[in-house]
Amino acid sequence: MLCLRKISKTTKGLRVYSSVVKQANHVKRTNINNLRKDVLEYRHVYPEFLPDPNIEFRNTLREKLERNDMLARRSHINIPEFYVGSILAVESSDPHSLGKMHRFVGICIQRQGCGLRAQFTLRNIIDHQGIEILYEMYDPAIQKVEILRLEKRLDDELLYLRDALPEYCTFDPNMEPEILPEGSPIPINETKVKLKPRPWLERWERKNLLGVQDLELPEKFYKKAEAVAKPWEKYDLMKEYRKTIPEEEQLEIFNEIDSRLQKLHVQGKKMKKRVFVKPTKLA
Amino acid sequence: MALVFSNVFAKSNIKAIEDKFFKLSIICSSNQIRERHVLNPKPRLRNPTWFTKKMIAERDEQVTPENEKFIQQIIQDKYSNVSPKGEIPGNIEWTPELQRTGVIAKKIGIYPLWLKNGKKIQTTLLQVLDNHVIKHYLPEEYDPPRKGPIGIRNKKACLLLGAEGGDPSLFTKDYCGLFKESGVIPKKILARFFVSPNAALPLGTLVSAMHFQVGNALDIRAKTIDRGFQGVMKRHGFKGMPASHGVTKTHRRGGNIGGGGEKGRVWPGTKMPGHMGNTWRIAKGVKILRINRKYNVLWVTGQAIPGETNSICFIYDSKLPLRKPEKPLPFPTYLEKVDDDTPEDQYDESVHQFGDPSIVYAEKK
Amino acid sequence: MFSSSLLIRSALKTKTISRNFHVSNQRYEIQKLTRLRVVDNSEIGKQAMAEGRPPRCIHVYNKTGVGKIGDKVLVAIRGEKKKGILVGLKQNQKTKVPKFDSNNLVLIDDNGTPLGTRIHVPIPTILRTILKEKTFSKGADYTKLLGIASKFV
Repeated sequence: MLCLRKISKTTKGLRVYSSVVKQANHVKRTNINNLRKDVLEYRHVYPEFLPDPNIEFRNTLREKLERNDMLARRSHINIPEFYVGSILAVESSDPHSLGKMHRFVGICIQRQGCGLRAQFTLRNIIDHQGIEILYEMYDPAIQKVEILRLEKRLDDELLYLRDALPEYCTFDPNMEPEILPEGSPIPINETKVKLKPRPWLERWERKNLLGVQDLELPEKFYKKAEAVAKPWEKYDLMKEYRKTIPEEEQLEIFNEIDSRLQKLHVQGKKMKKRVFVKPTKLA
Repeated sequence: MALVFSNVFAKSNIKAIEDKFFKLSIICSSNQIRERHVLNPKPRLRNPTWFTKKMIAERDEQVTPENEKFIQQIIQDKYSNVSPKGEIPGNIEWTPELQRTGVIAKKIGIYPLWLKNGKKIQTTLLQVLDNHVIKHYLPEEYDPPRKGPIGIRNKKACLLLGAEGGDPSLFTKDYCGLFKESGVIPKKILARFFVSPNAALPLGTLVSAMHFQVGNALDIRAKTIDRGFQGVMKRHGFKGMPASHGVTKTHRRGGNIGGGGEKGRVWPGTKMPGHMGNTWRIAKGVKILRINRKYNVLWVTGQAIPGETNSICFIYDSKLPLRKPEKPLPFPTYLEKVDDDTPEDQYDESVHQFGDPSIVYAEKK
Repeated sequence: MFSSSLLIRSALKTKTISRNFHVSNQRYEIQKLTRLRVVDNSEIGKQAMAEGRPPRCIHVYNKTGVGKIGDKVLVAIRGEKKKGILVGLKQNQKTKVPKFDSNNLVLIDDNGTPLGTRIHVPIPTILRTILKEKTFSKGADYTKLLGIASKFV
């Protein structure tokens, strides 16, 4: 923020000078815009750094201290970029089996909470038994978060996998990590999941899901879903405002922690490389 | 009437009788005042001495920007360097009988900390504001607003503390006058704290978060969240009545409030709907787990500290007998100059620091 | 007569129609008459699951009456009463404790010895601590159950 302000100040002064300087000014401004874009990308990569939008819980000092603590924890554990739909492996120290590491592989079906309260849920099917584990991102007992397949799905929450056929969330616990080439965009997995026949845990026909196949329900279910739908809510600006942090505040927050996040990113990459030196299993 | 009687009995022993009757007559004629004897009269309520009108009426003074800048400059010059007016006695050793001053703080939120054994606990963050001593009342001088019939035993001295400096041009002249003696900028919040006579601080002393120490217990007094007029289910946790089975219009009502016959009235203290919250409550014996020196923030156990986020609370050393501090406390307040080399955060032994490596449960040998 | 029938009809009209389904979230609590899934290879358990009549919980041996992970329950299975230990729940669990898609049960006898010889689904590691604690307090040795587990999560 400070540097931005400095630049803007300089731009104000420059307006008086010749057109050559004006051109330079223009270049600078586009740079600022690019920087802005990069920083705003962080809201997808590090969503938990944004505070709770509920105004009753907001306090700038608390949020700052919380962010500092999060970064302090991140200096000891590399929490990679991941999304709902990515496949993760979490290694944690377990007080119930001393001296051993507890490792769980699964697909991330939900991310929730902000700040130090951030959580994510992993789901997998082991021995024909669906298992879910809820992890806290900043829990100090977690030793390693490894990303095995980085991708997004069509929906924000994949809770419908609980009602899906088992092959859609069965993953090999010894899966090798798939590495994306540097700088490539995050692939979006467009598989359409087939759900088991009813009864379900929720009424999925009312949730506007994109990642499911045709639900094969009688007509009355769709009619009822249409009747209870609230299509006007997406135009409710006030609701949107209450649910989200404004862009200016996001910029302020991410500019403050930008340099430290980048340092951590570089550090994480180095750690990753060190892992690759290990001899892999022979076929 | 008395005169008539005296005429009839004016013979030998009459004089004495007359006297008696005369006395009687005086009693009868004068208006008889019989006061009800009250054992414990209600305390006399009076505003404290520092209670004056605080804010001036809003008015458009049409001050030019230059003049406004000038006013700000003057305020800056006047209040920039506040120093304690007098020497702080630094040679008194703390004992459990001595009472130190409390501080004014702000509840700024709740977030989890992890203990070294891996357990997660919720903590409340309290920001100790810029507390300055405004006034000092000697034990005999302080006249409390509430006084019982017996008076006050074991008299203590009293300190008036102020927090959150405001714009002096918005306060009334009377209110600004309170701060003249101490020389600090007029504060938005004032609170008085009883102290032992030798724990008094000179005017203008700053009390910071370092006044407290990690691992000790606190009592926190604040106003609870105001919930307005609430029904019996929310206010007292009643069960309500069934949703169906012929129940009409009484799903959330309290039901019967008393019997008939001899007890045929509403007994005092019956739980009924009414205003809920906005009352003073004390969270007792909460432990300090972490202190941030730079921002003056305390992390205390629990998420049930009264009040909303960003509300004011008062912090005292705990009075619970079993939670007395083990080490002597800084008395009368923390005086040492802090170096820049000392770490920003102090943690309790049991707390896992976020900068530490991950917790590993190793096998016991 | 006519007027009274009219009255009844009007009363029926004004009566609010109650919805006959739950609106609140399910809690998946193990209580009396909850259906459970036997996950060991004991003969009686296999038969009960195969014929599609899973055991019913008829008592939970704790003070709340709600079965939590590691609790002992009494079940009605194939017309018999058997005891069992809950080794996996559908209910939401604490962090790092797995939540399962079914309510799993391992049958035991009065001494805590499992009736089967193998558990064919993973069981949570937290059972190691819970069962050890219960063994000391209740006399029976429940930790034998851990020995027949095929996998821990």
